[in-house]
Amino acid sequence: MSAHLLLVLPLLVPLCGAIVCLLFWRLERWQALVSGFTQITWLGSTIFLLKRIITDKAISTQIGSWSAPFGITLVADTFSALVLLAAALVGLAVFLFSVYGLDKSRQRYGYFPLMLFLQVGVGGVCLTGDLFNLYVWFEVILICCFALLSLGGTKPQLEGALKYVTINFIASGLLLTGIGVVYSLFGALNLAELALIVREGTHLNLPLLSMASVFFLTGFGIKAAIFPMFFWLPASYHTSPIAISAFIAGLITKVGIYTLIRLFTLVFITDQTFMMPLMAILSGATMVVGVIGAAAQNDFRRILSFHIISQIGYMLMGLAIYTPLAIAGSIFFIIHNILVKTNLFLVSGVVAQYHRTFQLPRLGGVYLQQPFIALLFFVSALSLAGTPPLSGFWGKFMLAKAGFEAGNYLLVTTSLGVSLVTLFSMTKIWNEVFWKSKPRKPSTSILLTQSDRLRIALLYVPVVFLLCCILAIGVYAGPLIELAMRASQDLLHIETYTDTVLGKAR
Amino acid sequence: MRTLIFATAIRLLTPLFLLFSVYILFRGHHHPGGGFIGGLICSLAFVFHALAHGSEHTESTYFRLSVCQYKANGKPSQLYYVWSWMQLAIRKNHRNGNHKRFHVIRLRPIYLMAFGLLLAAGSGMVGLILGKPFMTAWWLPLELPVLGSLGTPLLFDTGVFMLVLGMVLKMVFTMKKE
Repeated sequence: MSAHLLLVLPLLVPLCGAIVCLLFWRLERWQALVSGFTQITWLGSTIFLLKRIITDKAISTQIGSWSAPFGITLVADTFSALVLLAAALVGLAVFLFSVYGLDKSRQRYGYFPLMLFLQVGVGGVCLTGDLFNLYVWFEVILICCFALLSLGGTKPQLEGALKYVTINFIASGLLLTGIGVVYSLFGALNLAELALIVREGTHLNLPLLSMASVFFLTGFGIKAAIFPMFFWLPASYHTSPIAISAFIAGLITKVGIYTLIRLFTLVFITDQTFMMPLMAILSGATMVVGVIGAAAQNDFRRILSFHIISQIGYMLMGLAIYTPLAIAGSIFFIIHNILVKTNLFLVSGVVAQYHRTFQLPRLGGVYLQQPFIALLFFVSALSLAGTPPLSGFWGKFMLAKAGFEAGNYLLVTTSLGVSLVTLFSMTKIWNEVFWKSKPRKPSTSILLTQSDRLRIALLYVPVVFLLCCILAIGVYAGPLIELAMRASQDLLHIETYTDTVLGKAR
Repeated sequence: MRTLIFATAIRLLTPLFLLFSVYILFRGHHHPGGGFIGGLICSLAFVFHALAHGSEHTESTYFRLSVCQYKANGKPSQLYYVWSWMQLAIRKNHRNGNHKRFHVIRLRPIYLMAFGLLLAAGSGMVGLILGKPFMTAWWLPLELPVLGSLGTPLLFDTGVFMLVLGMVLKMVFTMKKE
């Protein structure tokens, strides 16, 4: 397939799916059918993209045939293809969950098209090669997230969605200001062009680059829930149903960190002495605060939400150490975390389908009643905490090794300590939800009919599917680590990227 | 609040708005204008109509087609039933007789949005089919006197036009209901 088609397909497939879903407005069965077909096609398109990337390193297309520094460029390298593939896997799993795990009224009022539009946004962020275009895709994500989080319109949902949208609008404003500053300084918005300008080092406005970079650090820092600006995340992610919050929690903050890594390896590289210690502090604080916040919570989803923050810290850690191994560790960790975090949310959804609550004090005895879901949770939780044969271990191992090599002992110690507390926190969920006996209250006993049981049995499918992916990248980690190493090499040596976007002629 | 003057004026102005919006759409490629602003002006016509007559009336006037169909009771022949289907009478006023059935075909704003998006995305795919990057423009070789030259960018603009129109109408109708 031609590069033009391959790069556009991850955007066009969900877009067309969403359009067809809109045409089937209020016919949720048809929408589900179309959506399922679209998810599988999307997964297929990302696999094709990755296969092409493995042979070609990077490919690009100029939308509308307007040549590179002026038009909109779509470009994919190993990093973006990997994130896209993870997003597609998660999208398929969440779709499978949503068919039987989401109430009919939410499905009827546009869950499926909104989800697909959100995936268009994610695809756009991963593939765009233009700063302003990046901002536009983030707006697409923001609007879809807002609509999804408030879908159904219950009071806690609206409260959470308002918090989410307010803080994210401020972040978008900062980003827009930053983009304006960059454009006024360098007269370019194409990432490859900017990267070349920055590396040539002759531009007069170059000393002002770190001033511009602060806007992006703050803006994407809010969107990725980095240390001082994380409070909106646990306030909003736990309110909506699992089929919505699993996808948003699993993917959207990682998209923010993806962009941070992309921008801070490609464009904002000059001021290492200031930026790297700052990043190290931020990443350490993010890890610690997230995990301490989780220890204080008593709600299944809120604990998981706080762990998202803590793990964002690990992803930032790779950027703070800034060696090839560290960035490869970050990339591996992003992929692992997208899969594991979504899976844990889905598990909490399955448990809630049986017991109708997320509150730890009111849950219990799941291990006795549903041992299989307990096993699924156990493996995912150990993977999140980073126990050796599972996927979380490899990411943390790469990051720790890179940290030791770079002499960043304090950060590595913090990360390992946080890892231990994560294990404690997972043990807490295990004890409360699965191990202890269910508190006896006659009013809360729930009778499940035969059809309910069948419905819930179908909810195991996406969880098992994601768990297989997690086990695959854990036990058979070699190929993914190799790809992550290659992706980090491409990020640090930008010639492939710039040559692909701007053509070899320059 | 309904005033006679406003309602009469709107009845005269609505076609003007619609025509002007299409004009804006067509001149948009080389001059100020285009799909977005054209769609806004077009939706303005319906918004004013809704202000003057109520959104229910606007919806039933412009976005609803009532089709009346004779029932096939007592007539065993399937052929006759099909024949009566083909003799569709298009009416504005519902008269619920015993021997008739009404089909209401609604053009929901959401369909407008979907068709608009479809048109915009489809116009981009022409470039892909020709083996060039997505959204590469493709122009018909002929030049028309009023419309200018035709090509995929115009198709894209029309898609935007419909999307904006559908979006504004959706908002207005929803807000009017509440």
